[in-house]
Amino acid sequence: MSLKVDEIIGVVSSVLDETQKKRGTLIHAFQEIQKEQNYLPEEELVKLSKELDIPMSDVYSTATFYKQFYFTPRGRKIVKVCTGTACHVRGASKVMDALKNEFNVGDGETTEDLAMTLESVGCIGCCGLAPVATINEGIIGEIDSPKLSKMIEDIKED
Amino acid sequence: MINLEINGKKITANEGDTILRASLNNDIYIPNLCDDKRLRPYGGCRLCIVEVEGQARLMAACSSPAVDGMVIQTETPKLKKYRQTIIELLLVHHPLECPECDKAGECNLQDLAYEYGKPESRFIRSRKTTKSDIRGPLIELTSRRCILCGKCVRICSDHQGRGAIGLIGRGFPTVVQPAFGETLECDYCGQCLDVCPTGAILSKPYKFTARSWFLDEQDSICPFCGVGCTLTLGIREGKILRARGEQGKGVNDGNLCGRGRFGIDYIYSKKRLTTPLIKKGEEFVTASWEEALAHVAKSLTNIIKKYGPAAVGAIGSPRCTNEDNFALNKFIREVVGSDNIESSAAFGYEKVQKVMTAAFGTNNHPVNLESPLGKEIIFAVESDLSVTHPIFGLKILEATREGSRLITADSRETKLTRHSADWLKLMDGTSVALLNGIMHVITEDDLFNKETVTGIANFDTFLASLKEYTPEKTAELTGVPAAKIIETAKALAAAKSRLITLSLSLSENTKGSAAIKAAANLVNLLGEGAESLQIPAEYSNTYGSYNSGLRPDSNKPGKGLKEMLYDSESFLKAIYIMGEDPVINFPNSTAVTEKLKSLDFIVVQDIFLTATAKMADVVFPASSWGEKSGTFTNASSIDQEVLKLVDPTGQSVSDWMILKNLSLTMGSDLGIKKLADIQHELKSYHEKQKAPEGVKAFLTVHHGPAEEIDSRFPFKLVIRDILQHSGSMSTRSKSLDLVISEALLKLNTEDAERLAIRDSSHVKLSSKNGEIYLKAVISEDVPMGTVFVPSHFPYARINTLTQLTPEGDAVIAGVNIEHAGKSS
Ligand code: SF4
Ligand code: SF4
Ligand code: SF4
Ligand code: FES
Ligand code: FES
Repeated sequence: MSLKVDEIIGVVSSVLDETQKKRGTLIHAFQEIQKEQNYLPEEELVKLSKELDIPMSDVYSTATFYKQFYFTPRGRKIVKVCTGTACHVRGASKVMDALKNEFNVGDGETTEDLAMTLESVGCIGCCGLAPVATINEGIIGEIDSPKLSKMIEDIKED
Repeated sequence: MINLEINGKKITANEGDTILRASLNNDIYIPNLCDDKRLRPYGGCRLCIVEVEGQARLMAACSSPAVDGMVIQTETPKLKKYRQTIIELLLVHHPLECPECDKAGECNLQDLAYEYGKPESRFIRSRKTTKSDIRGPLIELTSRRCILCGKCVRICSDHQGRGAIGLIGRGFPTVVQPAFGETLECDYCGQCLDVCPTGAILSKPYKFTARSWFLDEQDSICPFCGVGCTLTLGIREGKILRARGEQGKGVNDGNLCGRGRFGIDYIYSKKRLTTPLIKKGEEFVTASWEEALAHVAKSLTNIIKKYGPAAVGAIGSPRCTNEDNFALNKFIREVVGSDNIESSAAFGYEKVQKVMTAAFGTNNHPVNLESPLGKEIIFAVESDLSVTHPIFGLKILEATREGSRLITADSRETKLTRHSADWLKLMDGTSVALLNGIMHVITEDDLFNKETVTGIANFDTFLASLKEYTPEKTAELTGVPAAKIIETAKALAAAKSRLITLSLSLSENTKGSAAIKAAANLVNLLGEGAESLQIPAEYSNTYGSYNSGLRPDSNKPGKGLKEMLYDSESFLKAIYIMGEDPVINFPNSTAVTEKLKSLDFIVVQDIFLTATAKMADVVFPASSWGEKSGTFTNASSIDQEVLKLVDPTGQSVSDWMILKNLSLTMGSDLGIKKLADIQHELKSYHEKQKAPEGVKAFLTVHHGPAEEIDSRFPFKLVIRDILQHSGSMSTRSKSLDLVISEALLKLNTEDAERLAIRDSSHVKLSSKNGEIYLKAVISEDVPMGTVFVPSHFPYARINTLTQLTPEGDAVIAGVNIEHAGKSS
């Protein structure tokens, strides 16, 4: 990966010094890496630190500040179960438990075969459909037993 | 200068000072937790808020500039209330474990809580409970006590130039950690430990040894390198428990490196000598002082009678005080009547002095530790000053932050190369060629100072000597691309101000007198004075001991180290060695050992039973640093007092006192009764030494390939210093031993593959002088065909392989490597 610093930050580049420019590209670089690899592998961050001449501790500190970056491989299907108030009242924990048991993972964990990652999230803004979960971009609302079984099947199929 | 008023007091401040700086400089305290004068304003903790007349909002004193005419209040009921709330919030999560925290009693957070805290908090939330990270050596990270002021992270990356730790994560679970939560692996300077306002970063060796209020703190000078930092030492019940730096004190102004901070426990090594020893047959037997002194007196007297005083020589020590060395000087000259005396400086700093005198015509060349500041270009030649002289190294980094352009010439990546604008990656031991190549460009392009060179001797011969160093040829010799050489030459010539800096020590073999001559030529060529070439003396008292008479007088027939230890002619029958271990520290130890074996009588006074001491007939136990008073003169020629802080180990006695007692036994009183007598005499000795100034001269030098690298010995052996150690003395420190305790041979990956040498396997290293066994590590750091060994570890006996040139330099040796156990 080679970084074209000026290209990334565009017109702003004229008012920044070299160090600031390099620092400014960090987030962009993280996003690129994560897009390709699904997470931020250690080797890539080490490379980035060398390339930008920013200490590793600094690179890592910046990355860990943002919730959107991950440091362990993530599953092909990201399953987010809403545990906001409305969903909680309508049995989100049952959904969560069922998925945990089925895939033998904890909250925030990924199955060994990298098939799926299970996460609990705060209110995702469609309380009317509670309990709600998402698989990658798709939303499943009003989850009941049949829907849950269907969900599990969906997750399992590649 | 600007004027302002704080709490009704009129004060003056420098333009550009923050309100906090101005106030603290005038002894008005404003609470603060995230400020340090070495760092840029951060404005994180908000405790430093003040009221400024005419401003509606409260201002953070640490990040608001002081303005002429400002009227400021720092203690008002309103501010008190705000600060109370901030402390209250900080204490919501902070575990209140002061009873078992080493910081208690000197903790900023504790002090502020005491001052502003409320007995009851309005907030109830869980306190942090993260476990301490105790995996790394020397430093313990306890993030649950962290208040996220970021000082440690900033001092490490912005000031120390290391960047080993970061604030990892966000919000409540944030921790101070190296990247990926790995074990801390860094410079171990402990600067983070000093700046942390809480107990989140603490020293492991000091842990649970004393409550801070029981410590008696006293200042003394660091026993390691030539910078001469002031250490603030914490003593309890007659034992030094820790060292810290304190801002406003000494040349270091609060900064310390890991050696000074952690390394002084070498004085508590179990291996300290405690009684005099006399050799009976092959074995040492313990003796009383009377017995040992009488034995030495008798033996020396007999030798003087039989062979004359010139058969006796002495070696002094850059680790001993000026007074110790001057006493040795007086003893050998006045009591013995010989003029044979020198110290290890003969292989290090003495060369610098001699070259500087020859090139600039001046005597004495102290460095200016502030010299890097404000220079347009700083050129560091094959030297990592941030390893040999860490605090001087920090000044170089500070200069680069303020806009100086740092150019380094080095074979491997160092802290300086990482912070330089340009890194000329040269092959080890080729700095003379590089400098000559640079000067070739400068002279060819007419970029030198034509007015001044006419007044400097030997210009024409010198000019002719540069002819062959064309950029192409130089590139071939050094491995630095021709374009880079030209570019560097032009930049150096065009700069308005420049600093050329290097280090030279007994324990490095990549450069000698020739490199200093070439550097001096460059300075003369550019029309600069000697102050543009800064070469700091290596150890704590190298500069001072050199000036305390540790060399043959120029007008007497005395002999130096080279004649005493390396000449085949055997005029020497007895030697008196104080605080030095020639068998380990001097080049070509086989030759040194042979020479010592041939002598009739050897006296060693030292703090350890060194390899040399083992060969002695009598060994006197000397008191160490911290156990005796005296002075050290640092590399910038400042005499600084070192204090007796604790009782001497066993029956050990100060070096000067041993010499005084021995002189008395031999029937002379040396004219000294107490320390002050020596100091008095030393002063007049120094005054007499000031010789008239001479002329400037160019000193023609050529690139000489170090030593034959042939098929029998195909590898270049490079020996250099590493950060955690200083000479061999620091290897006796238990703390520093925890960081690096082994002399590992670094070998290039491809070479290792070719020789089928695995990482961490044992190898035999041989040169034409001898062989040693070491553990090998495989590393990308070293170029093909080169192997690297740190100089410090006595057991490694690295000098078995080295050779002393007629110029008194230890040069890169040709060596062979094979599996241990295999025979060739
Ligand atoms: S000891 Fe020095 S190098 Fe290590 S983390 Fe602390 S400040 Fe950084
Ligand atoms: S560890 Fe200490 S210095 Fe570092 S951020 Fe926390 S409180 Fe500040
Ligand atoms: S070794 Fe040198 S830089 Fe380090 S603390 Fe001692 S005098 Fe200072
Ligand atoms: S609580 Fe689940 S979507 Fe709002
Ligand atoms: S010292 Fe000013 S905000 Fe911390």
